[in-house]
Amino acid sequence: MTKQIVIDPITRIEGHSKITIQLDDNGRVEDARFHVTQYRGFERFCEGRPFYEMPSLMGRICGICTISHELASAKACDEIMAVQIPETADMLRRIVNLASVIQSHALSFFYLSSPDFLLGLESDPATRNIFGLAQKHPEIARDGVRLRRFGQEIIEWMAGKRVHPNWIVPGGVGSPLEPEVRDRILETIPEAYAIVQHSLDWFKRSLENYADEIRTFGNFPTLFMGLVSPTGGLELYDGSVRVVDERGSMLVPGFAPDSYQEYIGEAVEPWTFMKFPYYKPVGYPDGIYRVGPLARLNIIDACGTPQADQEWAEFRQLDRGMNFSSFYFHYARLIECLFAIERLEQHLNDPRILDKRVRAYAGPNSGEGIGITEAPRGTLIHHYRADSQGRITWSNLVVATTHNNLAMNRGVKQVAHRYVEGDRLTEGMLNRVEAVIRTFDPCLSCSTHAQDRLALHVELVSPDGEMLDQIWRD
Amino acid sequence: MPAKPKIAFFDFSSCEGCQLTVIDALQTHLGLLDQVEIVQFREAMTEKQDTYQIAFVEGSCTREADEDRLRAIRKQAAVVVALGACAHLGGVNSMKNRWAIGNVQTYVYGEKNKETYPSYPARPISAVINVDAAIPGCPIDRFEFLHIVQMMLQGRVPKLPDYPLCVECKLSENACLNTLGKPCLGPITRAGCNAICTTYGDGCEGCRGFAPEPNFEYMREILRGHGLSETEIDARFTMFNHYQLQQMGEDAPLSPEGLQSLNGELPTSTFAAPKEAEGHG
Ligand code: SF4
Ligand code: SF4
Ligand code: SF4
Repeated sequence: MTKQIVIDPITRIEGHSKITIQLDDNGRVEDARFHVTQYRGFERFCEGRPFYEMPSLMGRICGICTISHELASAKACDEIMAVQIPETADMLRRIVNLASVIQSHALSFFYLSSPDFLLGLESDPATRNIFGLAQKHPEIARDGVRLRRFGQEIIEWMAGKRVHPNWIVPGGVGSPLEPEVRDRILETIPEAYAIVQHSLDWFKRSLENYADEIRTFGNFPTLFMGLVSPTGGLELYDGSVRVVDERGSMLVPGFAPDSYQEYIGEAVEPWTFMKFPYYKPVGYPDGIYRVGPLARLNIIDACGTPQADQEWAEFRQLDRGMNFSSFYFHYARLIECLFAIERLEQHLNDPRILDKRVRAYAGPNSGEGIGITEAPRGTLIHHYRADSQGRITWSNLVVATTHNNLAMNRGVKQVAHRYVEGDRLTEGMLNRVEAVIRTFDPCLSCSTHAQDRLALHVELVSPDGEMLDQIWRD
Repeated sequence: MPAKPKIAFFDFSSCEGCQLTVIDALQTHLGLLDQVEIVQFREAMTEKQDTYQIAFVEGSCTREADEDRLRAIRKQAAVVVALGACAHLGGVNSMKNRWAIGNVQTYVYGEKNKETYPSYPARPISAVINVDAAIPGCPIDRFEFLHIVQMMLQGRVPKLPDYPLCVECKLSENACLNTLGKPCLGPITRAGCNAICTTYGDGCEGCRGFAPEPNFEYMREILRGHGLSETEIDARFTMFNHYQLQQMGEDAPLSPEGLQSLNGELPTSTFAAPKEAEGHG
């Protein structure tokens, strides 16, 4: 068999995290914490630099979701310029965003997570990866590679580079869409539909096998947050931010991105470098919320495209309303891929898409800019202030993984409750902790701007602070 | 059959974009995997071996522990290759060298947490160990990567283009952005990416590093012509090449103010108060 090189999630997460599990006097799990132990400091890098550099600079936070960072940043810069970008530029930005969501979801679903569902969490870790998957289910592994490439190629054809293109700029985009590029993308769309449909079919059929995971994987009520379109539809690029409670009631139908600080607070804990955002009106830590694919499908009134809407209706029937289990993040990713292909196709078929006017030029006309988009992993906020010459004086970034920090910690605790017995850690427990963290598809590169790597390290601690056991996964 | 050379990938302070580019390159050029054996690649596989002949290193050195790890890699590998701007030049990471380092941590995480995580100015890996070859760019170009690996497998020493980007840009028949009012660092930047950014409409930012014997003064003059201030020109020059300019010291082609900020002499924030004061702590 030919060997294939792919991304392994476990190792990616391993890079930067540590988990401690605290026992109480009766030897039961009292608390479990997911620590992140490093940072890179992008918020400081940018200070004193011209605002127009930001999309390019901020893209370098992360090689996987470059596009999301570039877009949130460019939107904040559009505000600093106080311009409305040309409508074609808006559509072109949306297309690369959708393509980026597809490539990232494909990576998460096929490369990172399907080995767990299809080979089983108890299977040998040495083969519980895409290599093992390619052996047992070659067609599924191939689907994953193809779907990821579909998204990556759209980005490359439109923006020049797959990672860190300079094409997304304040005021719009660098160059218009060429007709032959549009046609080339349209030709690849049928295959992408087929892959997603086929994947949804087998995934839905196999859901009943995961009853246990669904019950215990980050399954708890929280608030949910994400962008929605003006009509309450699924929105990944621009809109207002909706917050919904655990019963599905609307807390805020949609606040304007510029008022995010009224709704989102950020707490700091001394034991981790990742901050803890919370919903301000409820307070810390009760204002726990989740973002990302599951949250987005929980807050909307409909997706807004025909095929995705059908799937969404079925999805919402699972738990008759809100879906709490983080296991459903995986399911939600497939539905979002379907939506993304449909939307992308609509934009490409819009006659305005080939218009040559794709960039507005202006200097710094405002001292502040806030850009919010939905990255594959959830809501992404870039907030800058600039002086009269357009130099950045202050910035704040709230990335998707950080929004989910409280929920990830609670998820780890839930698994620990269920699977830690006695004063020893087992391999099975470790696998489940990893799997639950992976449902969130955390990007620690984004959330910490990772400086280098440490192994995933789980410590079991007695009430008096004595370390009973530890496991390193290296 | 002769044994395949074993190659390994390592990452330091980086965004992992170069490693992802390697993965992309391998997916379309699976044949390469018949010629080499990959024994360590955190992005791609869990298992690992500690014997290898060629080491590809992504990311900058930003703390003391990195130095030991780099030396261990150097000791094992016959050939060490810097992968991408972070490893090759210091890349975007070295921008933080403008500030006294503790300040960066305090800014992001508050006074009480800053000690937990030791860090110092960012440097390319060549500041710590001998490097046999570099693949420039942020990220690397996947075709150049494949080309360089092929050269090395044939025992040849890969050579980077020693002419500026404008040569490739002209071959691509682009209209020159500097004549269209868009600032472009093409004249002083090393070619090899096929002028990808200028082809897609935005000026080169210099991610591949300076071309040999760059004419900085001429470049500054062009940029002034676009109405860029001296500080803005400094910013253009330092985005990926801050460390290179630091090495040039007094001779760095920057404005007096730019020279001052090269070496971490900005002790506290030049602008706003740290975040905690803003109520974010
Ligand atoms: S050189 Fe650029 S793409 Fe490569 S790791 Fe560094 S920041 Fe990422
Ligand atoms: S656009 Fe840039 S790279 Fe191209 S010719 Fe002009 S200056 Fe040189
Ligand atoms: S054009 Fe310039 S910025 Fe773009 S990839 Fe090439 S060297 Fe880097």
